[in-house]
Amino acid sequence: MRAVDGISFHVERGEVFGFLGPNGAGKSTTIKVLTTLLQKTAGSVTVDGINLEKDPSAIRKIIGYGSQEVSVDDDLTGRENLRLQCMFHHLHKADAEKRINEILKATGLEEAADRRAGTYSGGMRKRLDLATAIITRPKLLFLDEPTTGLDPQNRVAMWEYIKDLNKAGTTIFLTTQYMEEADRLAHRLCIIDNGKIVAGGTPAALKAEIGADVVQLALPDNGAAADRARARQVLGPVAGVQEIKDYDGGLMVFAKNGPSLVPEIVRKLDDVDVHITQISVSAPSLDDVFVKHTGRKMRVEEVTPPRRMVFGGRRRRPM
Amino acid sequence: MSARDIFVEVGAVFSRWLKKTFRRPAFVFFAMVQPVVWFLLFTQSFAKIADIPGFASSTGTNSYLTFFSAAVIIQTVLASAMQSGIGMVTDIESGYMDKMRVAPIHRFSILLGKVMSDGVRILLQSIIIIVLGVILGVTFATGIGGVLVILAIAVTFGIAWSGISTFIALATRNSEATLMISILTTFPLLFLSTAVMPQGLLPDFVQSVATYNPITYVANALHVLVITGYDWTTLGYGLLVILAVGAISLSATTVMFRRAVAS
Ligand SMILES: Nc1ncnc2c1ncn2[C@@H]1O[C@H](COP(=O)(O)OP(=O)(O)OP(=O)(O)O)[C@@H](O)[C@H]1O
Ligand SMILES: [Mg+2]
Repeated sequence: MRAVDGISFHVERGEVFGFLGPNGAGKSTTIKVLTTLLQKTAGSVTVDGINLEKDPSAIRKIIGYGSQEVSVDDDLTGRENLRLQCMFHHLHKADAEKRINEILKATGLEEAADRRAGTYSGGMRKRLDLATAIITRPKLLFLDEPTTGLDPQNRVAMWEYIKDLNKAGTTIFLTTQYMEEADRLAHRLCIIDNGKIVAGGTPAALKAEIGADVVQLALPDNGAAADRARARQVLGPVAGVQEIKDYDGGLMVFAKNGPSLVPEIVRKLDDVDVHITQISVSAPSLDDVFVKHTGRKMRVEEVTPPRRMVFGGRRRRPM
Repeated sequence: MSARDIFVEVGAVFSRWLKKTFRRPAFVFFAMVQPVVWFLLFTQSFAKIADIPGFASSTGTNSYLTFFSAAVIIQTVLASAMQSGIGMVTDIESGYMDKMRVAPIHRFSILLGKVMSDGVRILLQSIIIIVLGVILGVTFATGIGGVLVILAIAVTFGIAWSGISTFIALATRNSEATLMISILTTFPLLFLSTAVMPQGLLPDFVQSVATYNPITYVANALHVLVITGYDWTTLGYGLLVILAVGAISLSATTVMFRRAVAS
């Protein structure tokens, strides 16, 4: 089977490039090819002008990689883990020690530095892992789901940290299954599903493409075919409705001025006896972009609380 | 890539493994407690073996303790060598291998540093056994010089044997399977050799198996060094067997390792 199938993209120097997709989309596979860990069957990859096939070791000199699963040595202390990484990158000792102290401070691991990593909490291990990836000051940093498994507080801290790194000049390629993360961090992003890129661009442009508010109607039993058909029939002609899309839990109505349409939508559906279990209106999000292109929701735990039930038209987040 | 770079890389991998080894309570157990158990258990329960007619004449000693000290060394070396592959698998499983693979280091440094640390671990364990033996009353016919040769044999044979375990580890990529297969192949070989019993006292069929068993030749070499003196023919066979086992196991390991780290 093909985990990744014929994808093409380019990352600009100095940007944060996001790779957004659900479980099994092919994010890790892509990142492993780019970091020389996995051999691709076809195609070509150039990193910083270096051909991946011809000179993988030159690429290894300029990249850093934070894997999805934390990989620190639990028998070694945090400091020793970092020191080892410096030796792998042939840093001089004095320089290495200086960087180690800096990074321990920056990642808040100073106090735990001389304890074995095996005694760290999950979040601390994740931070140590990130520290080992960036201590060598890579030009290009690959981060595979850097915040999965972190609590909200640590997640926000990690976002700030990634932003700072980027401001300091590191180009960052990051994968995530969180819309909000991609939205906040990535200058540009690709949405990947089933090994294929389904959409790409800046988060703003992707959302603008939708050009409408999204009224999401959750139907009982995830929407029987008959219910869906009747709903489409009555909602299609409503003024302002641009498009109606199926998603796995019901229907999504793309409409200008969505909030003001809610009463009418509810009435029309009631007329034809279609029940709704939930209705919400929001400005388009990357989630909607994903649904629009795949007909499915991403189905991952959300970073922010779920959309509010609205009947009045409060937007989740200003555009 | 300069020689200095490679030195640093191998040193990094080497020191990592040494630290890991000595921080594991299991290591301390295997290194200290197990040889004591073997010495006490076997030499107490089998001391009478030395009274069997032919034991003294064929081995050159009437002390089973002295004879058996070689077996303890071999057993410890084998047990230690068998663990070698486990670390490699855990690194693959934990993703640490990938961490090393994205680093700009020579792939071979990863293997070399590990093998060297295995060698040091085996050396330390062998020293412990010899000290223990001396305390219990083993005398070494070849003196300090002979003890050094014994240590050299233990380390080289250990590294050669660790190649088998690493090969199995890289082939199965499964730490439990590695340990199981290693134990199942190694321990019968120990008892089907002259390590625990002189050749003449082994049952006929075991004798013929022992003739083809590499451990026999290493055991014989250790026995002469402990009991009788420098017997160059026996030592020569021992060396040859170690080189042969090492050449086969380490080249097979290298092939598997290349495959495991290939990008
Ligand atoms: N070693 C493997 N052998 C076989 N199939 C694999 C292997 N690794 C990944 N796959 C398959 O390749 C596809 C893509 O996997 P990949 O790990 O790249 O997804 P992902 O986007 O990183 O997902 P996640 O968010 O769960 O990490 C999946 O269908 C997965 O089952
Ligand atoms: Mg993944």
